[in-house]
Amino acid sequence: MKKQAPKSLTNKNNGTTINARQLSLFLAFFLPVGKILELPSLLARGAGGDLLLPAFLGSLLEFAALCALLLFAARSEQSVFERLENAVGKWAARALYGLYAAYLLCSSALPILDLEKFSHAAFSDTEPTFFSFTPFFILSGFICTKAFKSIGRCSDLSPALFLIPFLGLILLSVSEADFSSLLPLFEKPFSSSAKTLLHALPHFPAGGLLLPLMSGYKYEKGDAKKVLPAFGVGSLLFWVFLAVFYSVYGTTAAREHYALAKIAQYFPALNWIGRIDLLLVYTLTIQLFFFTALPLQLCTHCVCKTLEKPWQVLVSAALNLALFFAVLFLNRHYDNIYEFFTRSLWWVFLIFSTVLPLCAPLLAIKKGGGKASTKAKKEETQCTQKTP
Amino acid sequence: MKNFVNQLSENRKFLESALPAEDILYYAFSSADGVECFLAYADGMVNKQLLGELAAAPLQVTALKREKPQEDGTVYEVNAELIAQTVLFPEIKEVEKTQDALRELLDGNTLLFVDGLACAFVVGAKLLPVRAVTEPPTDVAVKGPREGFIEDVKTNMILVRKRLKAPELKLQMQRVGRRSDTMVCVCYLEGICNDEIRKEVENRLKKIDIDVIPDSSYIATLISERRHSIFRSVGTTERPDVFAAKLAEGRVGLLVDGSPIALTLPFAAVEDFQSNEDYYVSPFMATIFRALRLISVLIALISPALYVCSQLFKIQLLPLGLTLTIAESTSRLPLSPSMEMFVVLFVLEVLKEASIRMPKYVGMSLSVVGALVLGEAAVSAGFLSTPTIIVVAFSGICLYAVPNFVETGSILRWLFLIVGGSFGPFGLTLCIGFVLYYMLSADNFSMPLLAPFAPMTRSDLKDALVKYDIAALSKRPTIFGSKNRTRMRVKK
Repeated sequence: MKKQAPKSLTNKNNGTTINARQLSLFLAFFLPVGKILELPSLLARGAGGDLLLPAFLGSLLEFAALCALLLFAARSEQSVFERLENAVGKWAARALYGLYAAYLLCSSALPILDLEKFSHAAFSDTEPTFFSFTPFFILSGFICTKAFKSIGRCSDLSPALFLIPFLGLILLSVSEADFSSLLPLFEKPFSSSAKTLLHALPHFPAGGLLLPLMSGYKYEKGDAKKVLPAFGVGSLLFWVFLAVFYSVYGTTAAREHYALAKIAQYFPALNWIGRIDLLLVYTLTIQLFFFTALPLQLCTHCVCKTLEKPWQVLVSAALNLALFFAVLFLNRHYDNIYEFFTRSLWWVFLIFSTVLPLCAPLLAIKKGGGKASTKAKKEETQCTQKTP
Repeated sequence: MKNFVNQLSENRKFLESALPAEDILYYAFSSADGVECFLAYADGMVNKQLLGELAAAPLQVTALKREKPQEDGTVYEVNAELIAQTVLFPEIKEVEKTQDALRELLDGNTLLFVDGLACAFVVGAKLLPVRAVTEPPTDVAVKGPREGFIEDVKTNMILVRKRLKAPELKLQMQRVGRRSDTMVCVCYLEGICNDEIRKEVENRLKKIDIDVIPDSSYIATLISERRHSIFRSVGTTERPDVFAAKLAEGRVGLLVDGSPIALTLPFAAVEDFQSNEDYYVSPFMATIFRALRLISVLIALISPALYVCSQLFKIQLLPLGLTLTIAESTSRLPLSPSMEMFVVLFVLEVLKEASIRMPKYVGMSLSVVGALVLGEAAVSAGFLSTPTIIVVAFSGICLYAVPNFVETGSILRWLFLIVGGSFGPFGLTLCIGFVLYYMLSADNFSMPLLAPFAPMTRSDLKDALVKYDIAALSKRPTIFGSKNRTRMRVKK
């Protein structure tokens, strides 16, 4: 039988699709970049040498949310929002979009504040003013105007932007690591780890990001076999970083904020060849920029969906401007804001990034999304597969 | 007058009024039976000797009238078929419309008018001044063919046809430019090229409304989706072998009359890092060359900015010994590191621009004066430091490892320097992120600029930065959406 030639790219890419490979790369090499900034220090503060335990639990929550969303995607050819619109009505879907837009806007503040502090630690010998950070909002504004296909393409580049510098940094820092610092295991009570996890929930955003992101994803048979292991790879890389981080810094780890910038600086050869580890950090930071702008990008999408207007540029400008002023103000009260997010708002993050994604499969069951719809969806996806 | 009339004098009057130019010449003569004729041609564009021997001479000895019996007696009329047979040119055709005839005349063809016929014969006696086919100066290769395109579109078409002797090779002519009436040849391999892309190219060519097309770069700009982008969206080559290979991959090619630079599209950024020579050497060497080119470009773009950042914002970037050496040479300079870098880079750009425009021998002395005397004097006088000159010189050399990227690279280097000097390594990283995101979200003729990396197309990665063995490239690239993907059948 003659093999069908692959379809042209010219007429089918509406800019909103993301395929299984891109989703896998997103989970493996895009998502972990946000977790290695301030989270290691936060976990070490709460759980000490047991920091891997809350990290594992956090990843488990994300895994559960991911499974639920994949289950939903496998059962329904529509996105969660479209399904909700069909089940409850247009206004319910728009309300959910609005709620997610608000959540994503709020949740983007913390990574931006972290990025600002990290930029001071990694990029300058002196303490620069906040305004030296403002160009980030230009990049973020630009990213927000782009469709989901850019997130997918960004994920395709993530092995080069994340994995190579990450492995380089780990290799440089592992020589100074004392892994016995992690022992004995379970030194602290479980409640301490659980509490640490709750406070660290803003740093486990997978479910909250994936729910809107997966509206541009069409499930194909066998995708779960690629996507779930990819998430495992991402989690593994995160745990490796945590282990190396605590092994390098030991009991002082809790005070080592933004350790990414300096974790490899103790490598002996750097005295002779200069801080080439910083070049790896800078490369990784490019990925970090894209990750930090991601909630705002998704927020822009949600706002446009709520308003039912294609006002990406306008919404992006408004959101970034608002966030710029917010961060400008919040920057002075960083510690308080951090405390507020981690101690008081953890339940909001739990709802949006775990509970709601976990509820998603219920929508598919309610409207009878079973095998028939999967088949219909399969036919549809055959036309769009390989679309970047 | 839309059509010619059967009176010779009227037709000549029309031509003289429509083309009142001194280089349009007329040669009048009579046939053996006294029928008046004249040839009209543009001086210098026609092979006059051949025209005389093969057109005028045979007509002068031939009786052109034939008898035509009618009810009221026999009449004589000019035999048009006989004229076509008498004129010994293989290219001869009749035109009745004046506009068509004028276009042919201005193209370099000769018009033959015969009294009593309401048409003109277009005689293909064109002899345009064209230069010889030589090795292209901008695309030199140690191994591989040495032929390059020239300014004549017909010669270029022959060069392509010579390499692709396939009936599937289609060469479709379009006219662009209200006044230049430039011939643009759309080349593609039917059954291999994506029809949607080809139609889109043809549509965009039709939409061009400009008076003159001096060069193919005009066409490249006018059919681009992002005209203000610093990144190219149309591939260029001066080599027929590269052009033919790109057509065989499924691309559409454009040959523009008057330009030796052919266009290929869709274009992916990775093409800049590929050279025709990569396909004539071993895949290992080709991969090393490509890696070298990429590293060279990265060094060229980032090194000036990173040097400034290391001096102003993050001293740790350099080892202590080197920092002290640099500090020693820069301690008495009147300029800040960023300003100094700015000046040296400016001098480099001026030298580059001047040496391209200067005559060859003056250019050589300019290089000596500029690079050696000026540089040495500036360092001795304490205006500039040696490390800065080294960084800029190395950056300049590195950028030329990828000649097609020089324009874009120069702009990016300035941008990175300004941003890096103002915002430090953070600004530089941010700027690189911005450029990267722009590139990954950009499409050309629906093909991603960063293909096959983003979106990743695994099969196409075999001929991206890493070059696989030719046997591994048995399929055409997926990204062009070719209908026929089999390029080679490997017999085991």
